[in-house]
Amino acid sequence: MGPLKLAIIGGGPSSFYVASRLLSLFPQNDTLTSPLKIHIYDRLWAPHGLVRYGVAPDHPEVKNCTHKFDQVAQDPRLHFFGNIQVGPQTPPVIPHALPISLSALKSHYTHLLFSTGCNIPTLHPTLPPSDRVIPALSLVQWYTQHPSRPPPPPLHKTEHVSVIGQGNVALDVARMLLTPPAILEKYDVPSPVLDVLHRSAVRHVSIIGRRGLLQAAFTTKELRELTTLEGTFMTPLAPEILAPLSPPAPSNAKLTRQQSRILQLLQKGSPGSPTATSELPHGIKTKSWSLDFFRSPTGLTADGQYLTLAHTMLDERARAVPTGVTSLLRTDLTVTSLGHHADPSAAYFDPALGHLRTDRGRVLDTAGHTLRRVYASGWAATGARGVLAATMIDAYAVADVILADHFSNGRGEVAKLESGAYSKEDALVADDVDMVSIPKEVEEGVKAGRVVQYDQWKKIDAEELRRGAEMGKERERMGWEEAHQFLTSMGAW
Amino acid sequence: MTTHPSGSHIKLHFRDSKGELIKTVEANEGDDILSIAHEHDIDLEGACEGSVACSTCHIILSPKHYDLLPEPEDDENDMLDMAFGLCETSRLGCQVKLTRELDDMTATLPAATRNMFVDGLSHPAGKKPTHH
Repeated sequence: MGPLKLAIIGGGPSSFYVASRLLSLFPQNDTLTSPLKIHIYDRLWAPHGLVRYGVAPDHPEVKNCTHKFDQVAQDPRLHFFGNIQVGPQTPPVIPHALPISLSALKSHYTHLLFSTGCNIPTLHPTLPPSDRVIPALSLVQWYTQHPSRPPPPPLHKTEHVSVIGQGNVALDVARMLLTPPAILEKYDVPSPVLDVLHRSAVRHVSIIGRRGLLQAAFTTKELRELTTLEGTFMTPLAPEILAPLSPPAPSNAKLTRQQSRILQLLQKGSPGSPTATSELPHGIKTKSWSLDFFRSPTGLTADGQYLTLAHTMLDERARAVPTGVTSLLRTDLTVTSLGHHADPSAAYFDPALGHLRTDRGRVLDTAGHTLRRVYASGWAATGARGVLAATMIDAYAVADVILADHFSNGRGEVAKLESGAYSKEDALVADDVDMVSIPKEVEEGVKAGRVVQYDQWKKIDAEELRRGAEMGKERERMGWEEAHQFLTSMGAW
Repeated sequence: MTTHPSGSHIKLHFRDSKGELIKTVEANEGDDILSIAHEHDIDLEGACEGSVACSTCHIILSPKHYDLLPEPEDDENDMLDMAFGLCETSRLGCQVKLTRELDDMTATLPAATRNMFVDGLSHPAGKKPTHH
């Protein structure tokens, strides 16, 4: 059986779960002669993708999955190379990342896996980004101090925020804007972010969706966190929003278990109703949020102070259609939270799907034929949906296909393909490789102290935790310059 | 009926989604199913390590034993809402602690967790997966 030397583009949870499964199914042997090697490349200097840069800071338990990734990285057959941009950059650009073309990888690897995620926010056609309209991704990357360094939102002069979209990212954003900073202080929220939150004037967040409760994409846990958030209350929903959904209205489709539980939560509302003065003792003003269903934005007024909203209703196929009624909503900042798609300049991006096209994890070319030994996992293959459990299940399934192909014949091909044929395009990978080589650009980058490998990441990880402990918080994050400086001072390059 | 030594071991059967027995193990009162699975090399994942922040340790219990357990709390139910292949007797393995009356219980691993794309993939290297 030939060697399996795999380059994984992207070092988030999908990559680590694929690597984990491959490593566990091959016996370890002598690492130099092992038929399995895995190299993970990430354009960010730190590994773990959305687990580090997407999960909300007040959800630290989700990040426990990195303990397993640490163990995977200890396998000598795996190497991580951070701060390397494979292929063309899409905005937002990471200026300090080392660029390398996909073709530079070819002669060093027999297999390729794209686990590049969906990093481009889907925008609203009537709300182009401006100083008053930002994608939710910018906020998330701001409060996680993502290396693309989006600017902080002007929260000191923001009282009302409109979030367009009703998924979990929308609720995360609302929760981060409304949670008392004193509560956030002990989590992994960077100090510069806490400074901005301490000066925030935000009083109300409207979470706006063009359809109704049954079509909202948020899940129970995130909703529950908002309804029980200290110092805030939920604007009670109009009875007509809830009424058509309660039994015994005969026109309902049967509610799923999740929908029933969400309905119960919304009927209960927030503990404690708003007082006439909306003030607690000590002059602390309560904050509020609302779920504004059946509203679709049509733009901002010329002065930027109002969102114009079309009122909607559902047609017989549960699609939103305008009723003809419109209204204005006074707002200071609009955050669009409408999902994400993959990078359109990426190899084999399918514009109809918004991500790569695959057959069971095998990447398809533009003619719909299967590329040999080129795979995709996670959001790059499925689109931007699914939490950690779904990511793990998908990653294991793709790893199984990689292995099934590898053991089927000498060239990693199977007899029967769903797509019908293997691609006639030039291969992205080689048949015979040196098992320990890396592209010379990467070698040079390693020597020049521009590439972060896993043991170097672990030193930074330990230092971030140490600084956090000194400040009574979970972690204090470093940016690239700081991290680079720290590794230099430790002689760790 | 076997008499147990004073170590009071409780019998737990792990089955795969097709109903095949993976292993029967013995554990102690108070042990949770996820920890037991890991101790005995059963392929049950626990991404969030038992903190009710994911659904990767989702298991399906034998009905009569499910009924003996206290109701799940809100946070466990919130995670179960999103589990694949949810059944009437689904629980998160990390939240189910053994008691004497649960002796002889079966925990079945849900179908979606294995081999979605490749049917019947046996481990080609000839060894079962090792845990990292």
